[in-house]
Amino acid sequence: MTVAAAELARVPPRSGLWHFVRRNPTLVGGLVVLALIALAALIAPLIAGDPIAAKPVNRLRPPSQINWLGTDQLGRDVWARTVYGARISLLVGLSVATIAMSIGLLIGLLAGFSRTVESVVMRLMDGLMAIPAILLAIAFVSLSKASVSIVVAAIALPEIPRVVRLVRSVVLTVREQPFIEAAVASGTRLPKILRRHILPATVPPLIVQATYVAASAILIEAALSFLGAGTPPEVPTWGNMIASSRVYLGLAPWTIFGPGIALALVVLAVNLVGDGLRDRLDPRIARRM
Amino acid sequence: MGAFIIRRLLSTLLVMGLVGVFIFLLLHLSPGDPAAIIAGDNATPAQIEAIRTSLGLNDPLHVQFGRWAMRVLSGDLGISIFSNVPVATLIAQRVWPTLSLAFTTIVLAVTLALAAGVLAAWKAGSLADRLVMILSVVGFSVPVFVVGYLLIYVFAISLRWLPVQGYSPLAEGFWPWASHLILPSTALGLAYVALIARITRTAMLDVLAEDYMRTARAKGVATGPMLFKHALKSAGVPIVTVVGIGIALLIGGVVITETVFNLPGIGRLVVDAISKRDYPIIQGVILLFSGVYVIINLLVDLSYTLLDPRIRY
Amino acid sequence: MTRRATTSRRSFLKTGLAASAAVAAPGRLTAQSAPGATKTIRAVMHGDLTVLDPIWTTANMSAYHGAMLYDTLFGIDANLDTKPQMVSKWGASDDKKTWTFELRDGLKFSDGSAVTSDDVIASLRRWAARDGAGQHMMQRVADIAKKDDKTFQFVLKEPYGYLVDALGKTSTPLCYIMRKKEAETNPMEKITAYVGSGPFLFNEAETRQGVRYVYDRNPNYLPRSEPASGLAGGKVAKVDRVIFENMADSQTALAALQAGEIDFYETPPIDLIGQLEGDSNLTLEVLNKTGNIGWLRMNFLHPPFNNVDARRAMLYLLDQEDFMKATFGNPKFYKKCPSNFGCGVPMENDANTGWFKEAPSQAKAKEYLQKSGYKGEPIVLMQATNIDFMRNAADLVAGALRSIGANVQVASSDWGGVVNRRAVKAPPEQGGWNLFITWADGNAVSNPIALAGHAATGEKAWFGWPSDGKNEELRDKWAVAGSLQEKQQIARELQENAWNFVPHVWLGQWVAPTARRKNLTGMLAVPGVVPFWNAQKA
Repeated sequence: MTVAAAELARVPPRSGLWHFVRRNPTLVGGLVVLALIALAALIAPLIAGDPIAAKPVNRLRPPSQINWLGTDQLGRDVWARTVYGARISLLVGLSVATIAMSIGLLIGLLAGFSRTVESVVMRLMDGLMAIPAILLAIAFVSLSKASVSIVVAAIALPEIPRVVRLVRSVVLTVREQPFIEAAVASGTRLPKILRRHILPATVPPLIVQATYVAASAILIEAALSFLGAGTPPEVPTWGNMIASSRVYLGLAPWTIFGPGIALALVVLAVNLVGDGLRDRLDPRIARRM
Repeated sequence: MGAFIIRRLLSTLLVMGLVGVFIFLLLHLSPGDPAAIIAGDNATPAQIEAIRTSLGLNDPLHVQFGRWAMRVLSGDLGISIFSNVPVATLIAQRVWPTLSLAFTTIVLAVTLALAAGVLAAWKAGSLADRLVMILSVVGFSVPVFVVGYLLIYVFAISLRWLPVQGYSPLAEGFWPWASHLILPSTALGLAYVALIARITRTAMLDVLAEDYMRTARAKGVATGPMLFKHALKSAGVPIVTVVGIGIALLIGGVVITETVFNLPGIGRLVVDAISKRDYPIIQGVILLFSGVYVIINLLVDLSYTLLDPRIRY
Repeated sequence: MTRRATTSRRSFLKTGLAASAAVAAPGRLTAQSAPGATKTIRAVMHGDLTVLDPIWTTANMSAYHGAMLYDTLFGIDANLDTKPQMVSKWGASDDKKTWTFELRDGLKFSDGSAVTSDDVIASLRRWAARDGAGQHMMQRVADIAKKDDKTFQFVLKEPYGYLVDALGKTSTPLCYIMRKKEAETNPMEKITAYVGSGPFLFNEAETRQGVRYVYDRNPNYLPRSEPASGLAGGKVAKVDRVIFENMADSQTALAALQAGEIDFYETPPIDLIGQLEGDSNLTLEVLNKTGNIGWLRMNFLHPPFNNVDARRAMLYLLDQEDFMKATFGNPKFYKKCPSNFGCGVPMENDANTGWFKEAPSQAKAKEYLQKSGYKGEPIVLMQATNIDFMRNAADLVAGALRSIGANVQVASSDWGGVVNRRAVKAPPEQGGWNLFITWADGNAVSNPIALAGHAATGEKAWFGWPSDGKNEELRDKWAVAGSLQEKQQIARELQENAWNFVPHVWLGQWVAPTARRKNLTGMLAVPGVVPFWNAQKA
């Protein structure tokens, strides 16, 4: 069979949702899980009780009709805390990703276009990247007072250099393209070039990177809580729930399973979304599928 | 090539300088300092102020920074405010457990990950591929300390196969040293298995699809050695990149693992120092870690020239 | 004057060489020089030993360290009675203003020099400079004079019944006796040499800061002939080595104890006691019978707690049961206590405890808070996130205050952050605070002089700065009182007054059982210190 005939004989991809799902199982799977959890977080007051009310006399009760996931050491409802915890944990993931991406994009674009800015900025980024992220985060939080915004800033800061590098390399690659030269020669202004050519090129890898950053942010928040430098314990996050209940792993495992499984699920889902997006957006892999 | 190395080394020094400034500013611009903690419970504000002055904390920032920078450049990392032990001594005392942990974790993670990644690429699209990828991502999604506690519970308490905690120097025997490191390395390494396996798989897929690989297969070269020799070598560049990143991440993960498994390493040293605001230790250790990271990056870049002859500096 | 080493090429070489030497010989000595397992006790205590000068700090770990290395003039026995330790005989003049003390024979420092009055007097002065009770005492002391190498005298301006008890108290800092050389160190700085006359020697070579602290039996220590009881009697070291291992993680420490990797764990989490009770290799024992008392300090300098009604509101608002249950679970180990001086101690009494019968009462609390003129300003409550009791207690206080409509701002940080911020006298919105939580040793609380927190001297008092003249009058009376009955009567008056002006609120009293391997016996029960003499492994 000739190549041409083989081409003709190939079944063209069918459109429609079902086929999208079949071709991108990881992406869809991740998105579905995330959507469910985000939904639960949004309608928290409807599906869960009070996450903060402490009644020590009810402490460490196993899962039951009243407390679906039991109670923790202060008598608080674990299910309620897990559901409300989704809000903060998702918020942390989203905020860190957004902040790191936006600031990184801005700096990366500047670095891509201006040699002077580039030399100064890239050295600064190298310096920042050299400091172990978790130590920087711990120091940042310990030395200020603990709050969700401080924790977000502390986790976002070490992520910025990697984003800057990514954006800069994309900008440099795109700038070399002949059609850019042509656009410049024909008098197109910089903002238009940015909007039409540069930005669209940076968006796909940025989105993929954003998902990984979000996933790791949620995990780092848990680690910071474990080390005592996390979000204020009043505000339930999966990280600080696991950290403050870790003594009860053998005694009252439900205090850890709720937030632990939720954490693992969300991180898994975000990673799957990232993988799926990358497979879609990377032309080489997409072709192979 | 020689010029490249020299340029990179100079750049390294600059980066280290920047790191020094960052950390110094972070510590000294934050509210609070070690004075109140050192002064103890019964101190009066006058006493706390006196301690602050004696530590030089009331001097203008640039003076304090200059003092510290001069010290570091002459090789003196200072003295711990709390224990009066030189920072360099503290680091030297505690570097072996951290190095041992890092070493065993990398060995474990890289071995498992390369095997998993190669397997997944070889059987691309099959159930085995999907399974390997999902499992490795699960390993990446659970916090290290949870994995650590579970491992301790199963292997150290229930089965009594391995010790719960602590570190045994290599000089006191290979098995005690290794047995104390198995659980921590596993807990810590799980996350990196995922990372490295995925990159390996992608890199291997690229290489396997290349023309020269198909030619080799067509020529009848046996699959085993072909796979490892040709493919791995070409995929070496991205893999080494990721291992380099992994080592950087390791420095962070070491901190938690050392706490859970009570390894007397540098990670714990610096975390304890942060809670006590022991500035000299914090500054010294972060400078050290950054230096290690930068040098490893340099080595990774240099190794590219070995793995891919097309890359020349 | 800084305490740094001078910078120079030399120091680089020194640190470089020291570093390479330490790197070349990692870890411990070879098996031949370390004592065998049955002669070594490995203990995990409640925290890390960060300061090696037990006079300079009030940290309990430093007191434990001090007890290993140093000796005291007097010590309390298992019944909390003060008994002579380094002193052989002592007596007072008829007018009770001159006290003469004679040291025992054969007391030596670990460098071989004899313990003399010079050493004692220098140590006493340095201790008094740092200790609240010592300062209180020194106001009444005209002179501490040397009579001869073994005899010294206290010459008082007026009789001070508390003198001997002060010298033997276990609330930190204890009055440890050091060499004149170390004792002459500026009280504002820390000593740098660790030479004592106690039952153990500090093995600096094998000690690793933050990791382990090693003590070897002092072969030249001359114990008293009486049997050991508390910090009194003969301090006979029955093992060759004691190691304090620093394990930050309680799960790890517990697991290590179960696996036999350590012999003693001072503070197992009470919720996990059940797990240990089932293990036939382990024993649980409460060594400190007076336990600890949870402590809520209020800031007298700024609203709302500068008003007595707001403070009274707290007395009615909080339920000690909640605080205890939240962290300690098992009622076997805690109780509620309304006495200003703790429960289970001689100074315990029930004066002015009507509030206790009514508490918790949201209605009453709300009423008092309103009466104080509280208009909804933010109340800054400091929370230490890395210490379980403090973290839980802060959550409960915040919840309780909010339930009566107060506006609470929880300022979370680690304990270091709390220590920093509690020293700030500025208004809460400018970096100060309104409330913080800690705890105190039950035995220390039972003493109106020994516990710095009982002083109500306003800006010169402990954090919170309570102020009440009557309190101070009564404390002075208590210090000079002679008999136990007199002291108890004055304690009643003190408490009557205290629950009127409310210097602080107690959050409950608990005892913490220690856990150890069954083959470790002879641990002495005494508050404030965990001694390791008399202990042995089978």
